[in-house]
Amino acid sequence: MIDEECCGNCDSHNSYHYPTKIFCSTRYDKNEDPIVDTLWRCDDYNKVSQSCYCVREALKVKDGTE
Amino acid sequence: MRPPNSNILDRNIFPQLSSTKLGESWMERKDYLKEPVEHIKIDGALTVDQLIGQFKNSGSLGAGRLADACDIYEQMIKDKDCTVFLALSGAVVPAGMRALVADLVRNHLVDVIVSTGACMVHDAIEAVGGHHYKAGWAVDDAELYRYHLFRIYDILVPEEDYVKLDFILSEMYSDIAKERKGIPLASNEFAFEIGKRLTDKNSILRAAYEEGVPVFLPSARDSEFGFIHWLHASQKNQQDVLQLDAFKDVPTICGICSRSPKNGMIVLGGGVPRNTIQSAALASKKGLDYAIVITLDRPETGGLSGSTLEETVSWGKMKGKADHVMVIGEALMVFPFVVASVKERLGKNFKRESLLQRKKGST
Repeated sequence: MIDEECCGNCDSHNSYHYPTKIFCSTRYDKNEDPIVDTLWRCDDYNKVSQSCYCVREALKVKDGTE
Repeated sequence: MRPPNSNILDRNIFPQLSSTKLGESWMERKDYLKEPVEHIKIDGALTVDQLIGQFKNSGSLGAGRLADACDIYEQMIKDKDCTVFLALSGAVVPAGMRALVADLVRNHLVDVIVSTGACMVHDAIEAVGGHHYKAGWAVDDAELYRYHLFRIYDILVPEEDYVKLDFILSEMYSDIAKERKGIPLASNEFAFEIGKRLTDKNSILRAAYEEGVPVFLPSARDSEFGFIHWLHASQKNQQDVLQLDAFKDVPTICGICSRSPKNGMIVLGGGVPRNTIQSAALASKKGLDYAIVITLDRPETGGLSGSTLEETVSWGKMKGKADHVMVIGEALMVFPFVVASVKERLGKNFKRESLLQRKKGST
């Protein structure tokens, strides 16, 4: 797993447009746009308890390897 | 061709034999031997109803019960005094029965739907552009988790299809709550409001909204409809929170049963939807006149889903003389045969107006 501190590794994230966009429930609660980039992050970052492939796959898209 | 519709329910009299006393006979020996098993013949291409006719000739085991189910559904549809209740549970909607049910609604071949919340959530997922996928057998569930894919036996749902629905539902909830101004909804009113806001013609909820078919969701909270309420209610500055009254639909469904001269039930699976229909039939002191249950559940646990229809007679939920059959099988496989066979019998020009619509028209 790729252990970067970004939205794709935050426990507020759900897949929205896999793998590049995620839905952030914390931002939704605050009436802020909940759709953010998987590789973005904010000050509310909270490490996810069970990791997924979002960051790995988003990095592939960013690097143009997928 | 299908033989004449005779003695389809002879099997239902056998449980009553237990009430005979030793030395007394309930039937003459010859009465047990009226209809020999006819062997199934497949001569070239058969239509679905012709195949069901062959099953009826056998009259045995699952084939006999499936043929009975077709006959009973045909009777329900042709009985102008009957309101047809359809109970939906399990994974029939994500597995591929969505369009079939929507079609039944649009053709007035069911009058009332009672569903788990989950079945209608899966209907709504597709209504807003999501999909269900065939998974096959070689799946690693830990890997599915890492890819944000959810498994329902051999069906997959991408998490984003749920999340997109959640987002849309949360907005719908705010809109509905604003309109209701604090007045709680009954589950059928909730389904109506969701159906009104969907545009997909293949959606069960949309079809029910357009055709005036009530959809009761007695377990709405135990589905994404319930859990997304948390997201809706947690939004900052949320003025109106959508309220669902769990008891408000009871007089409505009991009233439908009560006002209908006859009531018929088709159950796909079981659970809460089956119990809701049966209890409405009991509470309205009507008892069901027709019943078809298609399930793989067993009666030995004492749970309702697998309970025999004979058992429901003891409660008064079904009349002792009701035409009924329990088909032991998986509903996704069995029910399309029932629908195809009956639609073939009815013909393309058959039109049915439900009792509910006739009553609406007369008021």
